[in-house]
Amino acid sequence: MFAYPTYFVLFGLVLTAVLGLLASWVDRKVTARVQYRVGPPVLQPAIDLVKLLGKETLIPAGAHKPTFLAAPLISLAGVAAVSTLLWITVLQPSRGFTGDVFVALYLLTMPSLGIILGGFASGNPVASLGASREMKLILAYELPFVIALFVPIILSGHAIRLPDIAAHQADAGAFVLHPSGFLAFLAALLCTQAKMGLVPFDVAEAETEITGGPLVDYSGSGLALYRLCKNMLFITLPLFLVVMFLGGITLSVLGIVYGALKLILVVAVLTLIRNTNPRIRIDQAMRFFWFPVTVVALAGVVLAMVGW
Amino acid sequence: MNELEPYFRLDWLSGSVAAFVAGYTVLTIVYSMGYMRGRQAQGRYYGYILLTCILSIAAVFADNLVLFVVCWGLLGLLLYLLTNLGESPGAAKTAKKTFIIIGGTDSLMILGLALAWSLGGRPSLFDLRMTTLEIPIVSPVGVMAYLCLLSGALAKAGAMPFHTWVPDTAQDAPLPVVAFIPASLDKLLGIYLLVRLNVDIFVLTKGLYVFLMLLGSFTIVAAVMMALVQHDMRRLLGYHAVSQVGYMILGIGTGTPLGIAGGLFHMFNNSLYKSCLFFSGGAVTREARTDALDELGGYAHAMPVTYTTFLIAALAISGIPPLNGFVSKWMIYQSLATVGRNSGWLWTLCLASALFGSVLTLASFMKLIHAIFLARPARKIEGKKETSLLLLAPHAILAGLCVLFGVFAFQLPLGRFIGPAVGTPIDYPGDWHTLAGALLLLAGFGAGAVLYIIGTALRARTVEPFVGGEVLEEQPAMRMSGVEFYKTVEEVPFLRWIYHAASQKFFDLYELGSRATLGISRMLSRIHTGELPTYLAWCVLGIIVLLFVLLGGSA
Repeated sequence: MFAYPTYFVLFGLVLTAVLGLLASWVDRKVTARVQYRVGPPVLQPAIDLVKLLGKETLIPAGAHKPTFLAAPLISLAGVAAVSTLLWITVLQPSRGFTGDVFVALYLLTMPSLGIILGGFASGNPVASLGASREMKLILAYELPFVIALFVPIILSGHAIRLPDIAAHQADAGAFVLHPSGFLAFLAALLCTQAKMGLVPFDVAEAETEITGGPLVDYSGSGLALYRLCKNMLFITLPLFLVVMFLGGITLSVLGIVYGALKLILVVAVLTLIRNTNPRIRIDQAMRFFWFPVTVVALAGVVLAMVGW
Repeated sequence: MNELEPYFRLDWLSGSVAAFVAGYTVLTIVYSMGYMRGRQAQGRYYGYILLTCILSIAAVFADNLVLFVVCWGLLGLLLYLLTNLGESPGAAKTAKKTFIIIGGTDSLMILGLALAWSLGGRPSLFDLRMTTLEIPIVSPVGVMAYLCLLSGALAKAGAMPFHTWVPDTAQDAPLPVVAFIPASLDKLLGIYLLVRLNVDIFVLTKGLYVFLMLLGSFTIVAAVMMALVQHDMRRLLGYHAVSQVGYMILGIGTGTPLGIAGGLFHMFNNSLYKSCLFFSGGAVTREARTDALDELGGYAHAMPVTYTTFLIAALAISGIPPLNGFVSKWMIYQSLATVGRNSGWLWTLCLASALFGSVLTLASFMKLIHAIFLARPARKIEGKKETSLLLLAPHAILAGLCVLFGVFAFQLPLGRFIGPAVGTPIDYPGDWHTLAGALLLLAGFGAGAVLYIIGTALRARTVEPFVGGEVLEEQPAMRMSGVEFYKTVEEVPFLRWIYHAASQKFFDLYELGSRATLGISRMLSRIHTGELPTYLAWCVLGIIVLLFVLLGGSA
């Protein structure tokens, strides 16, 4: 249908950014309604981004300038790559290069890697502290996340390419309808919450404690890029969950509406969790992910193995 | 050539391993010319390095098992001699420990050689040709023979449970030696032997494959957990040298062509980035005159090229796409997912450990990069700079190869020598196009750069960092070295007592062995009081027992 560069620019960058900004607006609107506020207009996230892009870029003294400036680009490269692959999976699964579970998993850690390197490079002890928390958070959620991803692999008969997993669900129904798939989806959803750095797992940025952590010294264009990445993740991660657990998106009018509803559902659940919980400490987060969440994911794997 | 024929053999596997050995020898000698300048015993040092190279190549090309074991044993001796040249106070003790572990497993190998001979049905011990044996493991003796020979491969490669010499050697041996032997050469040799054992010398049973996979998974996670909490750069890297072996064993332990190719590719990749890390890290610590992480910091400003190469190698070992470490790990993951098709639950355990180990690796390298390069300097770094081209060129070349082997993985290493070495065509169930993937990431990078240009990044202004309104320059104590970043992990229940037991050297086979030996000898020495009546009483007792046994037997 299209050439690769078209997919990258049109879908990986533009569509993901637009939908991401929309998702971010949904998030802010729902949050406002929960708090009995009116909430921002739909263009507000985009206006914020443009405004930030035009603000002056400040670099702290003592920072390693090239790393400080390159770090947001690493984040953006990771999220743009994985969203491109996901859109190709949805739109044209017969295409040669669509990626597999492991590729997606690794590309999805790159946004966090960029944040960590940026925080380290700013030479600010508060940023270092926040970045180290971000790293520990990755350690925490990655274990249950990979285990949860085993369930779609097992249920699809050991397929690991994203289109194969999506196609299997198109034939046999979404994996979330299986007891095993449901448990794994639950674990993966909580991990997504942490991947996004949303409350209760926003320990890395924790504005009221460490004033934004790794982002404390970012301003102007650098901050705008991180903001953009976070917005893009807000649609990329739900899309990944939809492809892996919720049956993907089929290309018909009804299918697209249905797919959009699934995406909105995931975004809404993430938003509701963030609005109804207080921030927890990093050691609590590690224990939470390594024990209860991992057990839930493992239970999913065991059920999947016996064919449930 | 016909006279050599029964003893040596050149195939894709031995040829490519030997080529890497020769390459590392050249790089190590170049690096040593800068690093070891002004040290004592230079003549002996370079002599040992060259001998190590020659013997390694001889071992790799050897087709005769006896010849192989002889070269192998001499390599252990050379490692002992080279470690002994270290200038740190612990060098002699570490050299002894290394020699005992390597030498001990070498004697097990000789036993394994004898057992293999008894099973192989060859008239003479010298007819044991490695590439044509294919001994089926059907009896307990076969398992014994395999395990004895395997112990040599594991000890050389530094896999658990014979790993404890690697972190110690990494800390105490001269740095170029560490980059040369435990980081690259011994990995190549150990894994080379493992592949030969699995593919050519023995025909493995399913149980042994399971054993290898479990061993690999355990090695990955346990060693990287230890790396996470180290305070010394070399020791931390030493634990990674152990952990990475786990991936190779895991890949080869699957027994599939994809897994073996992934394991071999990981072996070559690991030697590239691990020696790059030791070389570039060594260049910094030589300039800083310390390996302690909390006394470094800020070297990204002083040594930008070294920082770049270290960063590339660190990202490669953590498996960040599109670098080489990602491709080989990705192959191993796929082989595990396919193995899962016809074998129970084992693959989930192995795959989870491998994937989780990779994140732990990233974490400990983030700590290193922060502590060495990006943190605020612990000591003055004015006047510190890139020393010489001799200390720079080797790791720059290796970092370049890390990128090249990642971006052109299928065209270069897999297509040129790893594929032919494995022989059978490799089928990839996954989907990663190395070049297209790299371009995709590059395009994302470029898109961000365009936004920077549209924005204000080109007119950036330097200001004081914001630390709660305080002036950071006036607060020298307000510094974060990053050494204690993962204290939280140490305090997690269950992990707490494992770390405690590890700090008591509870998992060190050498320490346990020496404790047992010392305990027995202390007991024996208590009997030897030097009093004549006691000795006489023992003699009489002994004679009574002897008489009883002998007479009892005849009656």
